[in-house]
Amino acid sequence: MLSRVADALFWTGRYLERSACLARAVDVTFSLDLDLHGVLSNPVELEWNALLSMLRQSPPPAGDGEHPVAAVQRWLLVDLGNPGSVMACVNRARNNARSIRGSISPQMWRELNKLHWRLSDGAFQAAVAESPHDFCEETQVGVLLCHGVCDATMSHDEGWHFIQLGTYLERADKVLRILDSKFGLLERGDGADLPVRNLQWGAVLRQCRAYEAYQRLYISRVEPERVVEFLLVNPDFPNSVRFCLDRLLDSLTEISGRLPGRCDSDAMRTLGGLVSELTYLDSDDLDGERLHSLLGDSLGRCSRVGHLLQQQYSLQ
Amino acid sequence: MTPSSMAPQARVSQNPAGTASEVASPGGSSLLGGYELGAAYDEMFDSDLLARGHYQQLAQLLDRTSSDEFRRRKAMTDLSMRQDGVGFTVYRAEEGIERVWPMDPVPRIIPADEWQQIEAGLVQRITALNLFLWDIYHEQHILRDRVVPPRLVLQGNSFRREFVGVDVPRKIYIHICGTDLIRAADGEYLVLEDNGRTPSGVSYMLHNRQVLKRVFPALFNDYDVLPNDDYPAALLDVLKYIAPESTATPTAVLLSPGMYNSAYFEHSFLAQRMGIELVEGRDLLVDANRVFMRTTRGLQRVDVIYRRIDDDFLDPLTFRPDSVLGVPGLVNAYRAGNVALANSIGTGIADDKGIYPFVPDMIRYYLKQDPLLNNVKTFRPEVPEQLQHVLANLDTLVVKRVNESGGYGMLVGPASTAEQRDEFRRAIRANPRDFIAQPTIQLSTHPTFVDGRLEGRHLDLRPFVLCGERVVVTPGGLTRVALPKGSLVVNSSQGGGSKDTWILAQAGRM
Repeated sequence: MLSRVADALFWTGRYLERSACLARAVDVTFSLDLDLHGVLSNPVELEWNALLSMLRQSPPPAGDGEHPVAAVQRWLLVDLGNPGSVMACVNRARNNARSIRGSISPQMWRELNKLHWRLSDGAFQAAVAESPHDFCEETQVGVLLCHGVCDATMSHDEGWHFIQLGTYLERADKVLRILDSKFGLLERGDGADLPVRNLQWGAVLRQCRAYEAYQRLYISRVEPERVVEFLLVNPDFPNSVRFCLDRLLDSLTEISGRLPGRCDSDAMRTLGGLVSELTYLDSDDLDGERLHSLLGDSLGRCSRVGHLLQQQYSLQ
Repeated sequence: MTPSSMAPQARVSQNPAGTASEVASPGGSSLLGGYELGAAYDEMFDSDLLARGHYQQLAQLLDRTSSDEFRRRKAMTDLSMRQDGVGFTVYRAEEGIERVWPMDPVPRIIPADEWQQIEAGLVQRITALNLFLWDIYHEQHILRDRVVPPRLVLQGNSFRREFVGVDVPRKIYIHICGTDLIRAADGEYLVLEDNGRTPSGVSYMLHNRQVLKRVFPALFNDYDVLPNDDYPAALLDVLKYIAPESTATPTAVLLSPGMYNSAYFEHSFLAQRMGIELVEGRDLLVDANRVFMRTTRGLQRVDVIYRRIDDDFLDPLTFRPDSVLGVPGLVNAYRAGNVALANSIGTGIADDKGIYPFVPDMIRYYLKQDPLLNNVKTFRPEVPEQLQHVLANLDTLVVKRVNESGGYGMLVGPASTAEQRDEFRRAIRANPRDFIAQPTIQLSTHPTFVDGRLEGRHLDLRPFVLCGERVVVTPGGLTRVALPKGSLVVNSSQGGGSKDTWILAQAGRM
């Protein structure tokens, strides 16, 4: 497959996933905000600033009297001046897909194109001012549709695996960042009372679309340690870091054409090391400073995998 | 449906538009009410406003359809085009202006016997054009016999003297041709232009059919329409046929300028339908006169290139050195016979406006036949008697510069000002060889949905001809329609739209 095509497929997957993760984060934060502002004295901007810093995004430029929270929501969802906004990510996913229209199925192109047009609608965007929920929901459903159509209509060949690489690398990165940003909350222990803690950690799960799956597995209150364990090392849940890394390794193996377990590149070595570390993790590693350094290290290794892939498969 | 079950001849309701009864009737007024005929040949109606035989069922169906219902179908068509991302143009990356090329849901219908004439004429024409190209790049008999003035060829902008003596695969120069046909006031089909470089539009022909089947299936009930879906497969046959003989399993690619090109939709569509890679210049490289593409598994050999880039931009080492779209060294690889190109290099001289008047002579010269499709009558100011005629009739003629295309450097007499005519008069006197002139043809009209009803709009027809082991004319073509009232310009950039084009099966085939 053409290197340029592989690259564009990777970024199509990556930007689609990024837009969905971001939409979910905004939606969950908006909802959490409404719950918390009755019980906590924190200024309302706090959660939103935490979100911005988790996403490594700059705050919106000083607005013209717009409510600060509304400004952040608009900035994160629809503002094309923000290269990391949902709208900008969907546009980039679409531009990448468009540059290689012949290499994805027409059905997948159509879903992606429809998503773009729905989200670009002026009235639909304006409604974000009152509630970001519809916009966020539309984004997530649209991205899920793209994934489903992609899986069902495209051959699971090299090109499809490049889409998977982009998707799962982005998802692993985002889940790690969410956990990393809540690390402080974990350290403070049970300073907050139970219902509030349940809300806050519940929000972490919801950001990873994991609330019900978690409940089903543990049948208990939302315990921070268990949330971390579930999102980090559960091998079966599609939004856990471990699951994502397993898929990445599968796809890399398929692309390389080697037998499973045979390593042929730095990207694979880096990834394989991380996977085995998470697979055989000691429960002691899941708290305190060790967790902190584990998360930081994992993030670093994920971004290294991204760079190595770029080097390995582009022949420019 | 058999012919015997047809209702008597459909006649348009002759209510003037907007009578009280129409306005008051629920569901809107009659679509065809008040349809006006102009000076041009109308495809659907004869001069008595009776539907022509092959249009009767369609006219009846349209007469039964309310304006609102039709509006709904038209909106479905537009939405479908938009969702499929058909035919858009982007000017800036992030917030580009994207336009859908509108399709009018009223199909244009061509009966079997008419189509057979067109088909035979197109086969004859491309055969002669390919013989002409082989000849002028080799022995030049036709020039020595003075059938075509040598100067017109040898000094033509698009004559590639670098290719004199080069043997192209299978002796075919034009593999893909999109000939523009128009109909004169008496209904005769005339050739307006032979597009033998990189003609586009075939994807719209295919896509229009798919969309119309989806949004208005009832239209098809009364007709046996020949499918046009085989085009990509037939094109792939041609590409394989011209591949270098050294390889049993040739790799073909489609070379596109990229996603900002206005025909990018077509490039990606065709590549996908054929299952070949859509490449850009930067994906290819030439090593030791062989062409490769850069893949995730290293370099892969390329044998055939369906190029959608003009000669000038193909290879910066041979043609324009500032081209970033092309592939350095490609022309030498082609000359060495290591890669095939469709279309070949140097075909532009065959559809040069200065050469166009001689195509009928070529047909007689090479094939010893009379042309089955006529040219539009063309005057050459170079010839003294014709110069006088042209200068005296500038207000009724269309004057074209021979070395320009795409509507540039044209004078449309009836729409021109006295100053413009004076300017052309001076220019023609100074360089009569640089011009041709043609009478202004009123392109035929066809009912087209505008502002809630059907009005006559001018259109042309571009059938697509493939030349490989044999010549294949896909049944149908792209019908382009000028949407502004009275306009004769069908280009998509100038408010043009398109129609599905139906070729009917031979009667008795049901």
